Amino acid sequence: MAEKGTLLLVGTAKGLFILQRAAGTEKWSIVGPHFAGRAVYSAFYDERKGRGDLWAAATSWHFGAELLKSTDMGATWDEPERMRIKMPANTKKSLENIWQIAPGADADTLYVGAQPASLFESYDGGETFKLNKGLWVHPHRKKWTPGFGGLAVHTVITDKKDPNDIKIAISTGGVYQTADGGENWQVTNTGVKAYFLPDQYPEFGQCVHKIARHPKKKNTYFLQNHHGVYRSRDGATTWQEIESGLPSNFGFGITVSDAGSVFIVPLDSDGKRFTCEGKLRVYRSRDEGKSWEPLAKGLPQKNAYEVILRDSVASVGNNIFFGTKNGKLFGSGDDGDSWKLIEGSLPEICCVKAYKI
Amino acid sequence: MSVTVHLSGYLKPFSGGETEIALPGEYATVGDVLDSLWQQHLRLRDRILAETGEIRQHVNIFVGSDDVKRLKGLQTSIKSNEIHIFNAVSGG
Repeated sequence: MAEKGTLLLVGTAKGLFILQRAAGTEKWSIVGPHFAGRAVYSAFYDERKGRGDLWAAATSWHFGAELLKSTDMGATWDEPERMRIKMPANTKKSLENIWQIAPGADADTLYVGAQPASLFESYDGGETFKLNKGLWVHPHRKKWTPGFGGLAVHTVITDKKDPNDIKIAISTGGVYQTADGGENWQVTNTGVKAYFLPDQYPEFGQCVHKIARHPKKKNTYFLQNHHGVYRSRDGATTWQEIESGLPSNFGFGITVSDAGSVFIVPLDSDGKRFTCEGKLRVYRSRDEGKSWEPLAKGLPQKNAYEVILRDSVASVGNNIFFGTKNGKLFGSGDDGDSWKLIEGSLPEICCVKAYKI
Repeated sequence: MSVTVHLSGYLKPFSGGETEIALPGEYATVGDVLDSLWQQHLRLRDRILAETGEIRQHVNIFVGSDDVKRLKGLQTSIKSNEIHIFNAVSGG
């Protein structure tokens, strides 16, 4: 089979950039910004059923957040008369942002994680969406509180083989999951700390920044918390601390490569929120969190005060990418051993999504 | 009285490029004017009003020179035939 090229969807505070690299080359093409001036916190490339559709959430702080679709790789975007994602009138809420677009097991299913903390679902390929009622009526919902970025469902992880298995993360609420396709949701934060609460191991209320699943081990997950890095081996139900050897346990993004390597970019505490010691270092674990090693080859090691947001670390195969709030986009093609600057002056990067096409 | 709605340039993508829309007829309130505006440009509706039915936080509507958020919102009476819809001076 011919080697595939790479597609990067880079959402920024000022629009979406689409980068492509042909197979066997080092050169990237870049097109954008799409939706100039609007913030893009989530994007998704849907290749199921041979579609080749791009989805992106564009948020105008004036005119609202909306989900847009392109069937021609961004040459044109539809702009529906009525917004696709809307809070039902009986919620008395309005949509503030869209943080995640994720495929379901079925080729026509899409999930959208939103702010205020809610999950929307589509079973017709994105033609129509409806609010997931099971999560909305969850008795915990009214006790969830907004983090610095707002109160949102920012992570949605689905199982390609099991349409009933959905895991989500909420800041602040923590990890919730359903085994019945979204009718009922269980809270699964056991072992995850909430240092900012009097009860530091509550049932819920944790500020989980991101969770990622091991590509080959169905029940193994990794979690970057608001101070804390964890692993679960029981399907994101209970969590064990895996932060020994890290310069800080604070950070946002986390990803796992095909090789099973876990990548994070530690930041120096929630009070400072920039890279430790002014050095931009990615940390990799090749033993599921037992040990960590700093990766710095090709990354600035002096006066590098960067912030990497929760959805700005991504991988496809053993290619790893991350973007910073200062608009730098880095990539590695060797499972993190070395890094190259792809773009250096984009607007604040809010999300990076990587695909082979 | 019939009214003319003046739109911020940022709303042009949702109004077919128009920034001045004449709405013949008689209107009692801002809400009535907007209902008529949606008849011509439905795309404007979700961009100007939130799902709650209220004017979006960072959108301002003026009847003449009066900011309707300081009056009765969508129930504000039409006392001028000039309506302006602007994005607020907010952002980052």
